[in-house]
Amino acid sequence: MNTGQIISGAGHLALIGWALFGGVFKSEPLPFEVTEVTAISGDEYAALVAPQSAPETAVDVTSPEAPDIDDSAPDLGSGTDVQPEVAQPDVAATPPPDERPEVTEVMPPADAEVSDEPPEITPPSEDVAVLAPEVAPEAQPREADRVAPEPVAQPEPDAQIDDIVQPETVPDEAAETPREETDATAPEEATTEIVTEAEEPAQAAPSKSLRPQTRPERPAEPEPVETAQPQEPAETETQTDESAVNDALAEALGGGGASETETSTPSGPPLTRGEKDALRVAVKQCWNVGSLSTDALQVTVVVGVTLDADGKPTSIQQLSATGGSGGAVSKAYEAARRAVLRCGAKGFDLPRDKYDHWRDIEMTFNPEKMRIK
Amino acid sequence: MMRQFLTLLTAATLLAASVTTPVVAQSPGPLRIEIDEGVIEPLPYAVPDFVADTDAAAELGRNISRVIAADLSGTGLFRELPKDAFISQITSFASPVQYADWKAINAQALITGAVSVDGNGRLVVQFRVYDVFAGQELGQGLQLTGTQDGWRRMAHKVADQVYSRITGEGGYFDSRVVFVAETGPKDQRAKRLAIMDYDGANVKYLTDSSSIVLAPRFSPKGDRILYTSYETGEPRIYELNIGSVTRRVLPTQAGTMSFAPRFGPDGQTVVYSQAQGGNTDLFSMNIATGASNRLTSAPSIETAPSFSPDGSQIVFESDRSGSPQLYVMPSGGGEARRISFGQGRYGTPVWSPRGDLVAFTKQSKGRFHIGVMRLDGSEERLLTASFLDEGPTWSPNGRVIMFTRETQGASGKASLYSVDISGRNLKPVQTGTGASDPAWSPLQQ
Repeated sequence: MNTGQIISGAGHLALIGWALFGGVFKSEPLPFEVTEVTAISGDEYAALVAPQSAPETAVDVTSPEAPDIDDSAPDLGSGTDVQPEVAQPDVAATPPPDERPEVTEVMPPADAEVSDEPPEITPPSEDVAVLAPEVAPEAQPREADRVAPEPVAQPEPDAQIDDIVQPETVPDEAAETPREETDATAPEEATTEIVTEAEEPAQAAPSKSLRPQTRPERPAEPEPVETAQPQEPAETETQTDESAVNDALAEALGGGGASETETSTPSGPPLTRGEKDALRVAVKQCWNVGSLSTDALQVTVVVGVTLDADGKPTSIQQLSATGGSGGAVSKAYEAARRAVLRCGAKGFDLPRDKYDHWRDIEMTFNPEKMRIK
Repeated sequence: MMRQFLTLLTAATLLAASVTTPVVAQSPGPLRIEIDEGVIEPLPYAVPDFVADTDAAAELGRNISRVIAADLSGTGLFRELPKDAFISQITSFASPVQYADWKAINAQALITGAVSVDGNGRLVVQFRVYDVFAGQELGQGLQLTGTQDGWRRMAHKVADQVYSRITGEGGYFDSRVVFVAETGPKDQRAKRLAIMDYDGANVKYLTDSSSIVLAPRFSPKGDRILYTSYETGEPRIYELNIGSVTRRVLPTQAGTMSFAPRFGPDGQTVVYSQAQGGNTDLFSMNIATGASNRLTSAPSIETAPSFSPDGSQIVFESDRSGSPQLYVMPSGGGEARRISFGQGRYGTPVWSPRGDLVAFTKQSKGRFHIGVMRLDGSEERLLTASFLDEGPTWSPNGRVIMFTRETQGASGKASLYSVDISGRNLKPVQTGTGASDPAWSPLQQ
């Protein structure tokens, strides 16, 4: 018997032994239902199955007697109504006068405790919830003689019409220096668009609700101010005599960065966006196109304006014009000139330290939004 | 080594030159801003009484300045400054103007003038217009001469000049309006033709009230009128010469009803409606020869024709699509193009003298409107709204529209109104009696 047969026989024996004694052929019992049963006696069973007796039913039922009804008319009696007595109310005797109340001096309130230190104000966090605005109908433009980009409410009756808002001032006798007395001024009432008779009247109920407005954008960053830039440090690693000479040449020809800025920049930094907007608003308040022809309203005119240091125009000239014929261009230019002269008569409000930046201005008057549509 | 030395020497020389040369500051260039919004408001102006050398002329000077002010302020484009606000007084026409005094009261325009009567009894009017803030005269001084009775016309001519010099477009003050004067109750109303100045002054009647008259229309020169009369029982077209107040009936086809006439720009061609057998079509006629020409032959109603300013096209009203709408076709007839597409019924179209707009009557949702639109039907704007507005007519400069407004009820009355084409300055025109069917003349020669 060779070794292979021995190994095979031993293996088979081990497998058969594991199958017999290892529990391979054992199985769990099948599940079954279990019902609990209670044993009862014969008497108890008889009592359960015995028929139940019906309840007794009464046959003799007496009907209720009808009540006696008296049909005779009620006795109204012969007596007459007695006139009710009307008595005048007793006049009360004049009450005695009230006793004079005791008047005592009112004690002045105690002085409030005032602290010189300002209270601490806790700024709200940016995530604070914002209530939605009340639902209100959109404002409808009303009829007014003046149409302007921004609506203006009717001024006070005593206020003089002027392009500039100014409160009334009265002389203050207590002041050391006398103050000039001036009347209140306010711009004329204005609406934002022409309202024709054919426009539908505004409805009382709002047709839509206003959504909460988005958070306003942060104010624009001020425009970068041109300042002298520090000179870049010279590279030292590859510095040679020749590069030093070339740097010297470049400085001599083009000038250094710092010296260039200092010499070519006019006094003060350029106008900020807000300063330009203020100038734009000042001019457009005086640019009246209401008396221009429809042809002149097609003309975009560019006007060159020179201002003195007080912001008053010293010269105005037409630089160019597009979109119309000769006569229309002339009237468009005249309206632009009137705007500059009227609103610049007292000097435009411009920063004096930046005079070189606004001494010469090119103003483009574009009437596209103002045409009759 | 030598090369390096030369380079260094050159650099040193240039550096020294840059230090010793005076620095020239570079200009930053002009500040550039764009103004794309302005205001629309009446332009303040001052018109002192025109100076005169006699008491009689002084009264005329006052009256003339008042008519000028009424003309200018009546446009809604100008606002007169009250005399009690004046700082300067104009005592001499030749004296220089104190601009500062007029600037101080915000007078943006100043009109000065002088009135005198020459040796022949003729009225002489001189005037100048100033741009106060620019400190210069607008245009040149002008002198007008006429009869003393014609002082109102001279005032209107001055106002036309002022209007033109400030706005850049022609005026419309020296013009007239012909209309149908109406008197009596609504069910028994007497109608006759009348003519007046544009502002309601100098009303004169051209016909009696024995027959119904309708739709008068001026000739291009303003010397003749076409109108429709029921004098013979049926509507016929008449031509009336204003100067001689003589008239003649146009030789339209016998047995037909002819109405809604309008002159062409040549003053000889007339376009009108003719109804025959229950159908109404457009015809044109040369009134010198009487030759007529059919322009449309549709089974629908075509009426209210109006020439374009160059005479090449006609805008008219037709219900060929089922409801009255506006159409444009060549003046000799041909294919028509619909231009109105809004909801409602469109009628009585009139071509603007500027050629860019059509005025019309629109009925929509129980109301009547006067409106304007472009020739392609775009930019429709309704200017008015009432119980009954109809029959627009253009001012000579195409800036103002006059029309008929009738009030509701048995006691309703027709009257004339005018409105700027922007929709502003809607106001009644004073006529004395009831009035309808206005037609605006061209500027008088």
